[in-house]
Amino acid sequence: MADLAERLAAYAARRLPSARNLRVVDLDRIPGGASRETYRLVLQYEQDGEATARRLILRRDPPGSLIETERRLEFAAYAAFFNSAVPVPEAIWLEEDPAHLDYAFCVMQELPGLEAAPALLLAPPYVQHREKLGAQKWRILGEIAKSDPKALGLVGVMKDVAADACWQRELDYWEGVIDEDELEPQPVMRAVIRQLRANPPPPAQRISVVHGDYRTGNFLYDTDGVIHAILDWEMAHIGDPLEDLAWGLNPVWQWAKDGRAGGLLPKADAIRTWERSSGLVADPSALHWWELFSCVKGQGIWVSSAREYQGGKNQDPILAMSGYLMTNAQDRAALHLLGKLL
Amino acid sequence: MKPDPQRVLEQTALLLALDTAAAVQPRYRQAGVGMLAALLIAVREEFDRAAARRVEENAVLRELFARGASIVADAALAARLRGAAASHDESLRVPALDASNQALRALLVALHAHVEALATPEASELDAAIWLELAASTERRKLSLGAF
Repeated sequence: MADLAERLAAYAARRLPSARNLRVVDLDRIPGGASRETYRLVLQYEQDGEATARRLILRRDPPGSLIETERRLEFAAYAAFFNSAVPVPEAIWLEEDPAHLDYAFCVMQELPGLEAAPALLLAPPYVQHREKLGAQKWRILGEIAKSDPKALGLVGVMKDVAADACWQRELDYWEGVIDEDELEPQPVMRAVIRQLRANPPPPAQRISVVHGDYRTGNFLYDTDGVIHAILDWEMAHIGDPLEDLAWGLNPVWQWAKDGRAGGLLPKADAIRTWERSSGLVADPSALHWWELFSCVKGQGIWVSSAREYQGGKNQDPILAMSGYLMTNAQDRAALHLLGKLL
Repeated sequence: MKPDPQRVLEQTALLLALDTAAAVQPRYRQAGVGMLAALLIAVREEFDRAAARRVEENAVLRELFARGASIVADAALAARLRGAAASHDESLRVPALDASNQALRALLVALHAHVEALATPEASELDAAIWLELAASTERRKLSLGAF
């Protein structure tokens, strides 16, 4: 850890050439972020005669991760939404050269004293704020759905897509992930994929930024039930905003097992809030397509994590847990959406 | 061989979750110990039923294949179905049962895709039976800690 602090300090010194007596203190690896190693730290230095201490987050690529993602896209998304109606922490440095810390990494502003864990929402002092958090969560998602990728400067960083091609690009990608990474046959998901291909959704009403992993667990909240930041943009892309809505409604995120979307709001309330905020309509049949697709995407993530663990590339137990707990839950979610669960 | 493996896994998980985790720092390692405890609980549940659910499922799949062999319109697929329907589990060891289960489930994918494209009443009935088996397969694999 000391070595990492020294190497990060050396990197920061290159980034801040006018800073003096620069050092990294209180470097502490924290849980969360299965796709990146995440550290909390304080960067201390003097500049123009004044002592400065900045609380930062370092996110470094691990040897194997839950989601194979483009860190450049993630960084660009944070930068695009900073100081907007979509709360995000400030993205400070992106470094893709592994010479500095062995792997690519990014440095971001820390927002201290906040929580992200879904499990905490099941008990006081947070449980009484579930509706309030849910209303904010789906309203903010509506803001993301309103975003114009061109105006945000994200076209070029992210691949653009035509309104009638969103569904096929995403389905092709995630079916390919399952093809490549499944450790055993997936008859439920194969049947779902055939249904999705046979009954494609209508073109997107609007092309927008899609967060890609918008769920409870990927935002920071406080004890008063206020959301302060949307995190984990590593799967962000340009596409149909219904994709994000459907992902957030995926039954595997029903943490409280009481039918509430994302453990926060009844599904109908979540959809209404999103519609009001986004100005879009969640056509039931189109949303159903994207909800089924979200099961395929989820399964792609779970089978990939299981393969990482089985192959020995990463022994993080969360990867094995994904294989054990989420793969079957995802199949069950798909069967539930099809009305075929026993 | 006592204590029972289930007992050992359960007690080890409890020890990790209720005792060891509290003494481990930093926080991410503590969270990792909690995750290991949950993983052992899942493995314990799976250990108990591992052979039973595979034997049961393989038998159901062979019955579906015997039925499908007389319905499908593809001679090569029909031959594969007849061969699989006549196969047996030679060993009750989990890796061997897993190997046959995976081969049978791969064939189920092919059969399901084929049957969906047929317009006969028999094919529709088999399609419904396959969906029932898919749902049953998730009941066999369900874990108490599972998210859904």
